[in-house]
Amino acid sequence: MKVLEDSGSSVALQLEGIDRSYANAIRRFCIAEVPSMAIDDVVILENSSVLYDEILAHRLGMVPIRTDLERYNLPEECDCGNPLGCHKCRVLFVLDAKGKDKVMTVTSGDLVSEDRDVRPVSESIPLIKLAAGQSVKLEAYARLGRGKEHAKWQPCTVATLTDGKKEGVFILTVESAGGLPAKQVVLKAIELLEKKLKEIQVAVGGPD
Amino acid sequence: MSKQFAASNSWVILSDLLQREGVARQHLNSYNEFVTRGLQNIADEINEVEIETVSTPYKVKFGRVTLGSPRVVEIDGSVSSILPMESRLRNLTYSAPILLEMTIEEEGLPRDTTRQHIGDLPVMVKSELCQLSNRSREQLIESGEDPNDPGGYFIIHGAERVIVGLEDLSPNKILVDAEKLAGATTYKSRVYSSVVGYRSKLELTLKQDGGINVKIPSCPVDLPYVIVMRALGIKSDRDIANAVSPKQEIQDLLEVSFDKASEAPTEKDALVYIGNRVAHGMLEEFRVKRALSTLDWGLLPHLGKTEDRRFDKSMFMGEAACKLLELRLGWIEADDKDHYGNKVIKFAGQMLADLFRTAFRNLVRDMKYQLERTGQKRGGNVVGAAIRTGIITDKLNNAIATGNWGRGKVGVTQLLDRTNYLSTLSHLRRVQSPLSRSQPNFEARDLHATHFGRICPSETPEGVNCGLVKNLALSAIISVSVPSQEVEGKLWELGAKQIRDSDEKLQVEGCRIFMDGRFLGYVDDGERLAKAFRKLRREGQINPSASVLYISPVNDNAYPRIYISLSSGRVLRPLVVVESGRPLLNPEMISKVSGGQSAWRDLVDQGTIELIDANEEENCLVAMGPEDVTTRNSHMELFPAAMFGIAASIIPYPEHNQSPRNTYESAMAKQSLGFSSPTYPISPHVRQHLLVSPQAPVVRTRTLDLLKIDERPLGTNCVVAVLSFEGYNIEDAIIMNKSSVERGMARSFFYRLYDGEAKQYLGGMRDTFEVPSAESNIRGYRGEKFYRLLEGDGVVAHESQVAGGDVVIGRTSPPRFMEEYKEFEIKGPYRRDTSVAVRPSEAGVVDSIFMTENVEGGKMFKVRVRDMRVPEIGDKFASRHGQKGVIGLVVPQEDMPYTAEGIVPDVIINPHAFPSRMTVGQFIESIAGKAAAFRGSPVDGSAFAGESIDEMEKVLRGRGFEPTGREVMYDGKTGKKFATDVFVGVVYYQKLHHMVADKIHARARGQVQMLTKQPTEGRARGGGLRFGEMERDCLIAYGASMVLKDRLLDEADKTEIYVCERCGLIAYYDAKQRKYTCKIDGDQAKISTVVVAYAFKLLLQEMMSLNIAPRLQLKDKV
Repeated sequence: MKVLEDSGSSVALQLEGIDRSYANAIRRFCIAEVPSMAIDDVVILENSSVLYDEILAHRLGMVPIRTDLERYNLPEECDCGNPLGCHKCRVLFVLDAKGKDKVMTVTSGDLVSEDRDVRPVSESIPLIKLAAGQSVKLEAYARLGRGKEHAKWQPCTVATLTDGKKEGVFILTVESAGGLPAKQVVLKAIELLEKKLKEIQVAVGGPD
Repeated sequence: MSKQFAASNSWVILSDLLQREGVARQHLNSYNEFVTRGLQNIADEINEVEIETVSTPYKVKFGRVTLGSPRVVEIDGSVSSILPMESRLRNLTYSAPILLEMTIEEEGLPRDTTRQHIGDLPVMVKSELCQLSNRSREQLIESGEDPNDPGGYFIIHGAERVIVGLEDLSPNKILVDAEKLAGATTYKSRVYSSVVGYRSKLELTLKQDGGINVKIPSCPVDLPYVIVMRALGIKSDRDIANAVSPKQEIQDLLEVSFDKASEAPTEKDALVYIGNRVAHGMLEEFRVKRALSTLDWGLLPHLGKTEDRRFDKSMFMGEAACKLLELRLGWIEADDKDHYGNKVIKFAGQMLADLFRTAFRNLVRDMKYQLERTGQKRGGNVVGAAIRTGIITDKLNNAIATGNWGRGKVGVTQLLDRTNYLSTLSHLRRVQSPLSRSQPNFEARDLHATHFGRICPSETPEGVNCGLVKNLALSAIISVSVPSQEVEGKLWELGAKQIRDSDEKLQVEGCRIFMDGRFLGYVDDGERLAKAFRKLRREGQINPSASVLYISPVNDNAYPRIYISLSSGRVLRPLVVVESGRPLLNPEMISKVSGGQSAWRDLVDQGTIELIDANEEENCLVAMGPEDVTTRNSHMELFPAAMFGIAASIIPYPEHNQSPRNTYESAMAKQSLGFSSPTYPISPHVRQHLLVSPQAPVVRTRTLDLLKIDERPLGTNCVVAVLSFEGYNIEDAIIMNKSSVERGMARSFFYRLYDGEAKQYLGGMRDTFEVPSAESNIRGYRGEKFYRLLEGDGVVAHESQVAGGDVVIGRTSPPRFMEEYKEFEIKGPYRRDTSVAVRPSEAGVVDSIFMTENVEGGKMFKVRVRDMRVPEIGDKFASRHGQKGVIGLVVPQEDMPYTAEGIVPDVIINPHAFPSRMTVGQFIESIAGKAAAFRGSPVDGSAFAGESIDEMEKVLRGRGFEPTGREVMYDGKTGKKFATDVFVGVVYYQKLHHMVADKIHARARGQVQMLTKQPTEGRARGGGLRFGEMERDCLIAYGASMVLKDRLLDEADKTEIYVCERCGLIAYYDAKQRKYTCKIDGDQAKISTVVVAYAFKLLLQEMMSLNIAPRLQLKDKV
């Protein structure tokens, strides 16, 4: 194995000596299994903008958010048992914006997070335009989730497995959406894949 | 000059034309002309009414017609000015009062002049009468309007209705035709003579024996030609023959006609002859009178209906016979009925004029009757009281609201298509042919060469209306009528001679001149006259709408003829004038137009550009572009892509497609969802869609800019791979990427408007909006849970989630028949629940609620429910090349194929979509879309003038991609490379409004019809799916008799009936006596129970009602 590139947002690995199906499983895990943070529940307190609540909520969900896999649990794995979540499985964002005399654009930077490490990857993602007198007030809850459930939880934008120059050589390229470093996405994918394989191993009566 | 000149530069002119005139100019011009001149003319036609009272009769004279501005008269009589948006929201009619000056004239002396309100005229949105006509963009937005709305439609009771253009045969034109019937050829010469109000068809037939017969509508039998000519007052046979033609060959052919007219040698005899046929058995004096009136009114009424017009008519008849005989001799060719020069299009103005004329006549008749009844009282007030404004108002409103124009004309108006912006524009440029759709009419449906630049070659529906419903091309301009006097004057100046002033030589060798169906006279050199006429027109001395056609016949013996057309409704198209091999349009003029210093009209005025109708185009030789211009050319095309209509103009690279595909796309584009109007938050349409994230296409046509489609887009740019995918995209299905869908691709909203108004009933009772309560004995109470979302005022809360059956407007109505209830019911009258509920198969969120008052003063609520539609399996999509398909599978991104760069397609279509359909345009769009994405700027794919594929290939190569658009792809499920490269690119996809959510339907148990007790039909009524004859045949053939019985009897309309075995008729169970009774056999009856279909029982009883006794013979089952 050889690391061809590791720039934080993107990682390229040359794999040799492993089966294509195993390498592809890693790629697929990067897309669908590795958890990342995204806004999931939105409580709209006020919305006099031109966008409907559901559209605004959808747009919020698409904002990539910096993810900390160490401190946060997947809601279904969290021990709080609370359907609303706890400080270990959700992060509250607040948005309170009012249109001044000119048409203004509310961006992801206007989202105020309760955890300063969990915040939008970019501050300049436009969320909504407000005309004078229009206002939006909402609470948004970000949670960890998996890409297989919804595209907003996909940690990476690009995940490819391509043939290398030689037979049996593959190149795995992963570009991150910004929530997690690309390397971590791959590592987590391998970890999760291993965990799943382990489960099978246990299920068929192998050693723990 | 290069291709670029034609492609990009002269485009500016056309762009300026459409920007300034707008898409609905033909409607607006037509309506404005009706308002400014038409109304007055119709009032002048009648001019006065005589009121015949016993003592002193008097007259009411009509003066000037004026119009107020659009307004509404509320129930309390207050008048307020309205805007279109208010009319739409409040279900009002956008109309203005018509005021007519009326003067009472007694014994020839005018006494009292008043302005009377005679009725309301529906106002065309954005016409001169409309409040919006001269508002700026900002002011329009202020008025709640879409600033890009083209106008051209009416608002009747809140509904937007368009009077579609009606294609018609040009009036007053002599068309000759040779009809082959059973080996023999008959020659006919026809004229549809039309004057305001009515038309009369004249037909001259050359019989097998060589005689000419004349057919006039008011005469039951055909008349010999010469007799008609004599009756018209031409005394000598020589003059009659010369009226036809002084040429010997023609006169020889007339011999038989003269022989046939021998029984009426004089004018008097001829009149008696005709009189005998139109007024048989009456006094001779009366017969002659009738004959004369037949000639004055029934024959060629367009030339006038008075005695002094008979000479003109005889000359016109002469020409009709002349053309007929010239055709017989083979000197001229038969006229082509489908030539677009022989067609005119009638728009709102002309249609309304017909309607208003009859309504106004009715009003005047009614007024006369009222005034005569009133008797001696007179004066302005009395006249005012005698006018029933409803006669005009109701007639106009009803006709526009229903499209019922009277005299069998139906479907004249249509509800404006607001599916998307493009469909609205296209609807406003639609033209309908009155030809019957049930007859084949093959030639009439065919595309004709003269359609070029006038009618879109692609945009027409498939099926019964194919070729009968057309759409105007972008370059089409509809002529407005030109006053004839000044043009006539110019002709005399140019050397034309009246018939009476033409000497024999001129009459033999000269060229005949016709102007709008009138035979004006002769000129020695027709070609020279036509040239001079055109010169004057280019100099601005003759209206640009006037056109001239010079016909030099195939045989020199026939007359050359000049036709000058000044009428409105002809389809013109702008062409660049070419003089001695050089187009007059130069780059300087173009840059002036693009810079806004001058307009296309200026170029017309200075003779650089000419408006040419289909007739005049016969005299032109048009070059396609500057590089094709030779000294032989008279004109050059402005922009070839303008030959398409609105819908076909959005297709990129249409010239690379098989032509039917462009037709399919033209139909489909009108079904695609998009951003139809920025007024969507308050749009009061019953059904409306909105695409959430619409995109301007990256592969564009110039027309998109022009029509401002970018501001009102109707699709999404998608990465499309051409690949089969596990069989889920066979038969035109498409695969969609689940992640793309989740990210919001092709998401749309569907809105449905529910409305309820409080009606007032006789006796002062009215509907009330309330939450119907369980306690107050309400008939039809639905149950508490259906009313749970209602607030105190009886209307649902904003943004509440509603499902099928939930009441959105709670309303109760008073009992229907008061007395009946009092008699039979102890509890007293019940109010009825007439609440408005969400449709059973729909759901959504309450989007907006409007509260207002209708014109009757009743309170009115409109509640709009929105429903988000995320693409799902079965939703229909289409590219811009007639490639439609439904989603076959939504695939998770990790399973989708990917390219080496990591691009995962949004859509995967099947390669089988291409070979047979040959939509090469889509391939080019795909490659161009990819190139556009790489270079970061859109690609111009305009028809005939788009950026070349070589250019696109260069971009792709520069980025290290295959110029063919093919790429290495990997299977997402296995990570394996596909054996072949895959064609991937960016294609603009449209979401069409056929969605599974609107169609999904199943039934287990449910409603049955009252009459037959069989399951109801249709999704809206929760109906069953028909198990039809063919399905029945299958079961019979298979021998599945139990299934057959189950479907057709047990689970359908199974019933038990009682049959008397003795008489075989139906018996019944008498509940009082607790026994089965047969009225016929009484005690002797033997009654058995039989299981039959209820429909069969119904049949028996229906037969009995027809005095047939259907007797059933029962036998025990063995």
